[in-house]
Amino acid sequence: MNEIVNNTKTLPRRSISQWLFNPFIFVAGYQALLLGLGIMLISAFIGFLGNTHFDGVLDVHKGLEAPLWLFLAEGIIDWLTIAMPLFFFGLLVSSSSLRMIDVFGTQALARWPYIVTSVVMLPEANQRVGAYIIFRLTSTAASVTIDYMDMLIFIFAIIVGIFMSVWMVALMYRAYVVSCNIKGARAIVTFIVSLIGAEVLSKLSILLLFQRL
Amino acid sequence: MKLLPTACPACNSQLKAKSLICAHCNTEIQGEYELPVLTRLSPEDQSFILEFIKSSGSLKEMARLLRLSYPTVRNRLDEIIERLKKTESPEENNGKENL
Repeated sequence: MNEIVNNTKTLPRRSISQWLFNPFIFVAGYQALLLGLGIMLISAFIGFLGNTHFDGVLDVHKGLEAPLWLFLAEGIIDWLTIAMPLFFFGLLVSSSSLRMIDVFGTQALARWPYIVTSVVMLPEANQRVGAYIIFRLTSTAASVTIDYMDMLIFIFAIIVGIFMSVWMVALMYRAYVVSCNIKGARAIVTFIVSLIGAEVLSKLSILLLFQRL
Repeated sequence: MKLLPTACPACNSQLKAKSLICAHCNTEIQGEYELPVLTRLSPEDQSFILEFIKSSGSLKEMARLLRLSYPTVRNRLDEIIERLKKTESPEENNGKENL
């Protein structure tokens, strides 16, 4: 059996880029699900500390103070609303025999860049700049003053946040390709349709949750 | 050990065996023999199939040994199945016992 382990031609290369952009070659199933749930828990807790809401599959916003369960619920809703349509399309389009645990597990793990986002969104400077922008755009909000440091932190958070969002979408796509064995145009089209549907559904679901507060 | 050539280097058509020889007594048999389908796969694919059989056909066991995820191993197997289907010609479909 060692023969196959040593036969490097049969193994995908174990490079850093593989771990960063397609870890699902090595991790899927329950292992990915447990890691993913841990990631969601950490993101939700850091989000709770800094009032950073993941109020949609791709959304990150500074917002109102809320109980911890709401931040957890946001993460769970974001994850389920994208994993469900992808699993459905996988069953519909793929000729492979899929496992639900692989689709849901890898989609959970794909959300790890949002830990970084929740950290960079943590400083209160982001909240102040957000309030300042609202104050400048509308005449109804209260007056807010900010300094250069606040602006610098805000710009840094925005750049990192955008980068992490792109990274997360790339990971979600790779997770879909590996777990459902779908390639080419069919993979791209079904993924985009799922992402748009999930974005709408998650926004509506989280909005309903907020109304219950 | 030399690799068994399976495709013509000039036109890429499928090669057939014309002569078989006994390494013990040098008896040579002439004829035209189809190569078994599995021999037409790449050495990596053949190695994968062999190990798959040794693992009692368990993808989970293969994934554990290769330190890869289950879907990655399953996808690899699906790719090989696709290649096998493409490799098989209609006349071989009638004589699958060669496998």
